[in-house]
Formats: sequence, structure tokens, C-alpha cells
Amino acid sequence: MPGLKAIFKKELISVMKEKTIVLAILIQLLIASFSSVILIGLMSYYDPESIGQNSALHLTAGVVGESPLSGYLRDAGIAVVQYDSTGEAQAAMSAGRIDFIAALSPAEGGIENMQLYLPASDSRSTVITMMIKDPLSKYENYLREQNGIHVQYTSLKGRQSTTYEFLYTLIVPMLMFFPAFISGSMIIDSLSEEVENKTMDTLMASPVSLNAVLFGKVGAAIFLAIIQCVMWALLLALNRLYIQNVVLVLLLALIITAFVTFGSGLISMYFKDRERSQFVYSILIMAAAGASLFFNPSPISLMARLAMGEAHVGILDVALFTLPLIVLIAVFFLASRRLLAMKA
Amino acid sequence: MLGKDIYYIGVSPGGPSIDDSRFHVQVLDYADGVKMLNSRSIDLYLYNETAITRNDDRSRYAEGALKQYLTKAETTRMIVDYDINQSFPLRVEVIKGTSPAATPAATSIAATPTPAPSVDTSSAVLQQISEAQNGSSTKFKAEFVSDNEIIVPSLMTSPMPLSQVVLAFLYVVPMLFMGIFFNSSFMEEKTNRKLNILMSAPVTPLDIISGKMLPYVGFSLVVVVILTLILGGDVLLALAIFLPVILFIFSIYLIVSLVYRTFKDQTFFSMAAITFVTGYLVLPALLTGINNVSYISPLTLAVQMYRGESFGISEYLLSTVPMYLVFGLSLFVGTRIFNEEYLMSFGPLYRKVGDALYLAIDRAHPYISIGLLGLFAIPIVFMVQMIIAILSLIIPVSMPTMVYLAILLALCVIVEEVAKSAGIATLLENKKVASTKMLIGLAAASALGFFIGEKLLLYVSLSVVSNVVLIEALGSAGLLIIPLVAHFVFTSTVCLATQKLGVKYYPLAIFAGSILHFLYNFVILAQQMGMV
Repeated sequence: MPGLKAIFKKELISVMKEKTIVLAILIQLLIASFSSVILIGLMSYYDPESIGQNSALHLTAGVVGESPLSGYLRDAGIAVVQYDSTGEAQAAMSAGRIDFIAALSPAEGGIENMQLYLPASDSRSTVITMMIKDPLSKYENYLREQNGIHVQYTSLKGRQSTTYEFLYTLIVPMLMFFPAFISGSMIIDSLSEEVENKTMDTLMASPVSLNAVLFGKVGAAIFLAIIQCVMWALLLALNRLYIQNVVLVLLLALIITAFVTFGSGLISMYFKDRERSQFVYSILIMAAAGASLFFNPSPISLMARLAMGEAHVGILDVALFTLPLIVLIAVFFLASRRLLAMKA
Repeated sequence: MLGKDIYYIGVSPGGPSIDDSRFHVQVLDYADGVKMLNSRSIDLYLYNETAITRNDDRSRYAEGALKQYLTKAETTRMIVDYDINQSFPLRVEVIKGTSPAATPAATSIAATPTPAPSVDTSSAVLQQISEAQNGSSTKFKAEFVSDNEIIVPSLMTSPMPLSQVVLAFLYVVPMLFMGIFFNSSFMEEKTNRKLNILMSAPVTPLDIISGKMLPYVGFSLVVVVILTLILGGDVLLALAIFLPVILFIFSIYLIVSLVYRTFKDQTFFSMAAITFVTGYLVLPALLTGINNVSYISPLTLAVQMYRGESFGISEYLLSTVPMYLVFGLSLFVGTRIFNEEYLMSFGPLYRKVGDALYLAIDRAHPYISIGLLGLFAIPIVFMVQMIIAILSLIIPVSMPTMVYLAILLALCVIVEEVAKSAGIATLLENKKVASTKMLIGLAAASALGFFIGEKLLLYVSLSVVSNVVLIEALGSAGLLIIPLVAHFVFTSTVCLATQKLGVKYYPLAIFAGSILHFLYNFVILAQQMGMV
């Protein structure tokens, strides 16, 4: 198609020229990058193990009574001072020598009632509670064994996976698919503006074929989305969060973006006015995102597995998604003129 | 569940059945399991009760995830198969805030061992079991360690206030939608030139703006009431918390729809506004109970309401006053820029903002206007600096503290300098500053307004937020000690530089003023920290 390149360039330049849009993209990138960093930071904040590992927080426990709990506390990196009575321990706590007190009384009928004295400050006692959860659980398992109950799989260690899963199953797919959402919205604005300003009629009469114009516009939007995805990958890498299979991840993002943009193009050509198209588009996007959670293969879970470096997904899984895309592009190509000629 | 088949694991025959979509499970004998593990076909092999892993991250995360799943499964087995007195033998009674005064009494209690209140703790265990089974998150009750609570280690829930934050966010979503509807309707009237007809009618801009806004605000309030009734909260309290949020959201959308002409711009800025508002409101609320900086967001108050906790009037003021002020400011600016020429003109963001500032200034009383502008810039400056402060709390720091603080301070300083001088710069641009003497006078007015605003703000915020490094730094170096004179010097530097170089070089002038301001702050801060 001659002229396609010219339209692509023109559209890209017009988008770039409009400083506000570039600025908006920058703002969005900035804010979103902050929010992702904040969320990741928060997750590790709430992740008790990483608090123990990352923070220079050194806790000292006062333990009243003999029990294996002292050993479990030491294993968790908490210093232990033994006291004979709760009173002594409390004096030490008020003097600031220890951070909290675990007062144990001899088990009665297999039940151990323990008293935990925490500081008044909410934030501090929250951190303490999080840090001693693991030693307490170990002690609980010990008592269970004493009661004749065997708890299985206690030897498992591993690394806390919450942050890891959160990052790859939520943040990465979100970052990679969000630009697609914006591109779709942009195409609707751009096409419905042309229709509403009646400039589409002029374009249709020009020597450049209609599809060249449309494909140029869609191409520019897809291009912008992919640029954003690449920026995301770089930004994450700067935060030392690496996406595996980068090429495949970007390829999948490209396919989904193309699907969304061509789809939104069809929607705006059908409805012709901005408000209705945007509305239908938003509803469809939300429905599609929701439905894809139940789908298999779902682009979201495929994205997550690719980015994680899961060994059982590869180019073939990605290629599968080109089939619906090809169908959609064909429909777009064949139906564009008729759709636009139709009365709204 | 988002992650589907993200871990491939093998279990030995007779191993546990794993009912979690994250895991793709194969039953393998030992030889196959180890072979597949080494060829990276599986991430972990569970041989009887032990996990065999590779020495890489994926394998370790898989083990962590499996551990989490199996621990939960074991707890369920404990509940189902055994008597709770056997299977939940450890009950921890939490006693908080032992004051020194209480010590003697406690000593006497400790001398005679307390008889175990076994009936009491068993009922607590039963209650926590039923919560664990039914999902306590649906009840939105206090998850934090409250006074004298019984903890059962394996039934203990994470203290993340996520459920309440989600709940509070539930209020914000319809508000954002209302804001978008308001924005769309405003934009449509603007592009259809219906507003022009209204402008020629004998009504004031304030009438038009508030008249257009009122139905949407009213409907948002109705939504708040309905949601609160459904969720069983305190309606009056909820209204007091969410009214400023609603006004804040609408002020942003009002400005977006007044400043922008094309739908393209407007779509983008609406999106940027949504991310900004969501981030500003939701992220601090996640820190509820952990750090007092969370009080910059009114959602924190809502989270506390749903946790049955109370908050003081100063917390309420800190989180809501900036929002009320931003609303007032945007309403004022909105009425000033409400003329055909401004509404219909195109231009980049800085141009539109500059024009808006220029229109907001009363040219007959430049000194008072500039002073008030400095004063009312405070809530906006506060919000921006708070965002920087939150980031300082959360971004994992790997650089030296001093460098890190310096970067934060530099950002805050630039924000302040822009806020103080932007109004004067627009006056310069429009040739409304007759002499250098007048320029200095304006700089003094702006510095004075800003100074007063700062002190007022400090009065509220220092009582609530005191444990953030940056706040302390600002409090000790910038906000508290920087006297009026220093503000005046920095602002006049910026203004004079702008006058001499021309408005084109305004960013350069800001840079110059910021360097001075920064050096001053940094020296004082360094002295405070005993490093110079």
C-alpha cells in the first residue's frame, strides 16, 4: 500500500508534536513506575522474612521460663535474655534493654499458655509480631509433636514467593498490556475525531487508499505501545527485576496490542462517535481481561510464565495468538470502507 | 488466581494432592524426579517429606510457595483430624504497653503463676479456626494485634490492612466515574459552544461551574451513603471522610476540562489524573498503623473506621484540609479563567498553566495576589512533597543516606521554588512588572505568603507525622528554621534571573534559585546530623 508509510509517519509526528500527549505518557510512565516500585517495596515490607533479612532491626527477647522457644528465637536471629520472673523482665523492658517478653508457664494438659508483652507502639509491635511468627510456629509444632501429632513437611524452606509471584503474575502483565489499552483508546479518539470533523471524507477522496490511512494510524499507535513496553522492561531491569524471554514477552505484547488496536478501530468505525465507542471499548476490554483469567491458554498467564522463565512455554504458545489477530486484521481490511460508509 | 501453572513440580508416589492452580503436579519416582529436576523440566521434586531443589531462584521460590501451601494444608488437617486442645497447644496472650508504673503489680502476679484460663483460650482458638475457614477478610475486622488478644501461631493472619484498603478503594471507584462523567459533559458543552451561550447569560462563572458540578457531587455523596449502609459503617463519619475526597477528585477534573480542548488531551489527562489520585489515596493507606505518614490520605481514616479504631481531629485535618484547599483553589482559578478566549485556546501544558496563573492574579492588587498565591500553593506543594516523602520511605535504598537525602531535598526544593516564583514569572512575561523594585516587592510578598502557609501546615503536620526522615529533615532544616529572609533571597534570585535573562530562561532561573536553597538546606541538615 503506497502512502501507508507516509500516514504512519504523519500520525507519529502529530502525536509527538502534541506535547501534551508526550507529557501525558511520561506522567503515566512516571506514576506507574513509582506505583509499581512502591507496591513491590510494600510487599517486601510486609514480608516478615525479608524484614528479618533486609532490615538492620536487631530484636532482643526476654524469655521467662525454660523452653525450646529460646532456641527457635535465636535461629531467627533474635537475641535472647533469660529471666527468672516476669517482673524482672518487665523492668528490663521499661529500661529498654529488651524489646518484648515471652513469658512461658509450664504446659497444662498439653496446652501452653504464653504471655507476650509488646511495646505500646503499634508499628513496632506489628513488626515484632511478624518477626516472631516463624519461631512461634516452630514451637507450636514442637508442642504438637509432644502431644503425639506429627506435622508433615516442616523441613521445607525455600524463599518467600509472594513478591515474586506478585511481580510476574500481576505487575509485568499489567505493565505490558496497559500500553495496549491506551493505544486502543487513542485510535478511537483519532478516528472519531476524523469522522466528527468530517476530515475522513476528505481522506477517503484522496489518492491514498483508505486502508493505508487506517493502517498507518493503527501502526503508529502500536509502535508507541511497544516503545512503552520496551521502556518498562528497561525500567524494571534498572530496579534489578529482570524479565526472562524478553523477545517473546514483547512479541506477545505486540500481538495483544495489535489485536486491541484493530479491534478498537472497528468499534470506532462502527459507532462513529467518541463517547459511545470509548464506552463500549472500555466495557469490552474489562470483560476480555476478566474472561482471559478463565481461559486457557490465557494471554495474561502466558505472559506471566514467559516473564518468569517457565520452561514449558515458548514461541509456539505465543504464535497461537497470531491466528485470531490475522482474522481480525482481515476483517478490518475488508470491512473498513463499508463500516465507514454506513450511517451511524 | 492469576498465576496458573507457574511452577512445575514432581511428587513421589503417595505424596500430597496439591489443589492449587499455581502448581502443575506430576507423580514421578525418585530417579525420574531428580532427572527432570536437573533438566529443568520441573522446578522441585517432593520426595516423601523433603523437597529436592536446584540451586537457583526459581526452584527456591517454588519451594517457598509449596511450603506456604503445605503449611496451610497441614493446619486444615490439624483442624479436621484432631481435638483442638491437642492440635493447637500454644496460645499466646498479647499484653501491650506495659508501663513502668504497672510493673510492681505485674511482679506480684508473676510470683504466683496465673492459673491458665483454658476455657477462654479454647474459645479464642475456635473463633480463629472458624475465621480461617470462612475467610476472615470478608468481615473486615481488626487484623492487627489489639490489646490482650489471643494469638494462635498457625492461625495468625498477616497484618496487611489490604482488605480494608480495598474496601476504602471501593468508595473511590464510583467517584472517579462520576468525575469522568462530569468531565465529559463539561467538555461536550465546551466543544459544542453551549458554554458560550451560558457565558452571555446573566450568571456568574461560579454559578455555571458549581451548577454543573453539584448534581455529580450529590450523586457521589449518595453513593457514599449507600455503600456505608451496605458495609455497616458510620454514615456521618464516612461522609466527613469522603466529602473532601470527592471535592478533590472533582477539582482535578474541573481543571482538566477547563484547560484542555481536544478529547485526545482530555483522555490522557483523565488517565493521568486517575493514576495520580489512586496512588495518592491508596498507597499511603496501605501503611495504616505502620507509619503515621499514612495520614496524608483520607482513606487511612476510612480504613481505621472499618477497623473500629479512632483517630484524632489533627489527623483528620492533616489528611483533609489540603483537599478542601485544593478544591477552593481550583474553584477560584476555574472562575478566573472562565472566559471564551482561554477556554477555546490551544497550547502546551506550561503555556496553559502560565495563562491560568496570569488570569488568576488580580492585576490591580499584584502584591496581595502574589502573596495569596504563595500561601495557597502550600497544599499543592505539600502533596507533591508528601509523594516524594513516601517514595523515600519505600524505595529500597542502596545508595549512601546522604546522597539519597540530597536527591530528595533537591526535588523538594525545586518544587518550592517553582511554587513561589511561577506567578511572578507570568507577570514578567506579560510585562506587568514596571521596575526591579516592584519585582523585589513581589518576591517579598510571595515569600511571606509561602512562609505563613508553611508555618500553618507545620503546626498540623508535625503533631501527626514525625517519624519520616524527610519530614524531619524538612522540619529541622527547611520548614522550621529557614527564616523568611532565606525564602525571600531565593525567590528574588529566581525572579531577578528571570527578568534579566527573559522568561524563556525561567527553568534556568529556577535552577539557580534551587541551588542556593538546596545548599542552605543541606548545610543546615548536615549540621543537624553532625556530619559537617
